[in-house]
Amino acid sequence: MGYEELFPPYNMEWHAHATKRFANPFVGEKYDRIDVDPVMLSHAAVACGYTIRDFYEKPELGIHCLAYIYQLYDLLPVTHWFYASPWLAELGCKMVQKDTLPPIPDSTPVETLEDVDKLEVPSEEDLRKGTTYPQYQRLYEYVQKHIPQTFVPISYAFDPVGEAAALCGVENFIMWTFTEQEAAHKLLAKFTQTGVNGALCTAKDYGSAMLVVASVLANNDIFSDEAVREYSVKYMREYVDKSFRGGAGPQIFYHCCGNQETAYKEFDNLVWSPFTVIHVGYSGRDVFPTETLVKTFGNRATCMGTVDTKLLINPNPKAVYDQAAKQIVAGRDSPRGFLIGAACECPPYTLPANILAMTQAATDFGTYGKW
Amino acid sequence: MEAKFSANAKDVMSKRGLKEADIADVVNTAEASNRKLFKDGVNLAKKRIGEVTMYAVYDNNGEVQTAYSHRMVLGEPVKTTDEPDLSDWTCKHCNERAVIGSANMSYLGVTRTGPAIVCPKCSDVWIEEYLATMTIAAAEGLFEKKKA
Ligand SMILES: [Zn+2]
Repeated sequence: MGYEELFPPYNMEWHAHATKRFANPFVGEKYDRIDVDPVMLSHAAVACGYTIRDFYEKPELGIHCLAYIYQLYDLLPVTHWFYASPWLAELGCKMVQKDTLPPIPDSTPVETLEDVDKLEVPSEEDLRKGTTYPQYQRLYEYVQKHIPQTFVPISYAFDPVGEAAALCGVENFIMWTFTEQEAAHKLLAKFTQTGVNGALCTAKDYGSAMLVVASVLANNDIFSDEAVREYSVKYMREYVDKSFRGGAGPQIFYHCCGNQETAYKEFDNLVWSPFTVIHVGYSGRDVFPTETLVKTFGNRATCMGTVDTKLLINPNPKAVYDQAAKQIVAGRDSPRGFLIGAACECPPYTLPANILAMTQAATDFGTYGKW
Repeated sequence: MEAKFSANAKDVMSKRGLKEADIADVVNTAEASNRKLFKDGVNLAKKRIGEVTMYAVYDNNGEVQTAYSHRMVLGEPVKTTDEPDLSDWTCKHCNERAVIGSANMSYLGVTRTGPAIVCPKCSDVWIEEYLATMTIAAAEGLFEKKKA
């Protein structure tokens, strides 16, 4: 039995409505309301009765759960499936599945400076014979066959600094940013080129490739603004620029998570495409203020405001509603459009009431023509 | 300068539906107005003709090497950083090195920001071939789909 047999038919009427609504920020339309994107991953599997492990171990099941449950929550008409450490298997990490976590690297193949030099960047051809890309090929084939209306070809570099750190160990990497800067840069460049090669495979096979790239480990809790610029923004730029040269894009999703209290300004120097969404997680311990997000990036990208991820597992939907409302009011007039999301992935055991509180806030404060 | 066309240019132009007369117009207008970019003996000229912006890449003898177009209308540059990376191109009019920057671009009544080569002095903006023919072309398609 295929996973598609586990799900009732997809509601195409809802899909048409959600598709029209999802176009709003990108083409300046005002249909229905501001969209909600709680950055859902394994919660979709949990909501359908499966496990976190199922979501990551069986991507086809995971993405079908996501497509199905998005209808219940009235979210987006498109699907995605990913985990935060793509391409590490091809770079020598042993990836292991966990019961309560996405797959994580269980080894650090880069221990010494010599290892950095010896690390080989897998070519497009190598990636096609590796783990990460064929998994996406199988997944996208499933989506195109069973839920094609939700299909968007996406390629993930995710968090280059975090990935480079995973290859050599986080403490090691942070030490290198002080004592062995050349090695830190070399490792980042190698990871980035691997991500680029992955994006080029996707662009070649599917005609385009939305790029998802993040700055997560590089945040003000550990890094200075200069270090965020030098180690994170530089490689995010390089990833997008080189991927564009091979036909990837036009969509970009910039996920800047963690405490970006002052470093957020550095993201101004990213590459902007006509279909760019930027999302900044936190300022200190608080959610990133939408006013600042819109003031800084509103004239060059669609802004995604945030609700604190921690609130989503709190039995207090009113707190979610209030925070979402505040962020929506601050962002709803952003010139290139606005979405409301969670600061980071919505937790697997997010309470459905809290997602309802987000969409209710979007309806009450983000319905076009009502303000 | 009379525009001539290399075999490659003819081939590419026929695939992209570009007419020799239009591309010759692009070259002539650039030469007459001194508005073009240049690098290592190669020139990049552009002109809005009808509903498209057409580009010619040609050498100093006027031989066109490649040509391309996009439908987006280019607007003003968007400043994003005090330290932009330099491009390989120089603005002929200003004799100033152009930078890798961002510019507003409009299509179907929608204005968004995209990557562009920008002259920091006269603020003229340009889209290189790989962007115009791939990412920007895909963006135009996406605008049409989302506007439908
Ligand atoms: Zn100039």
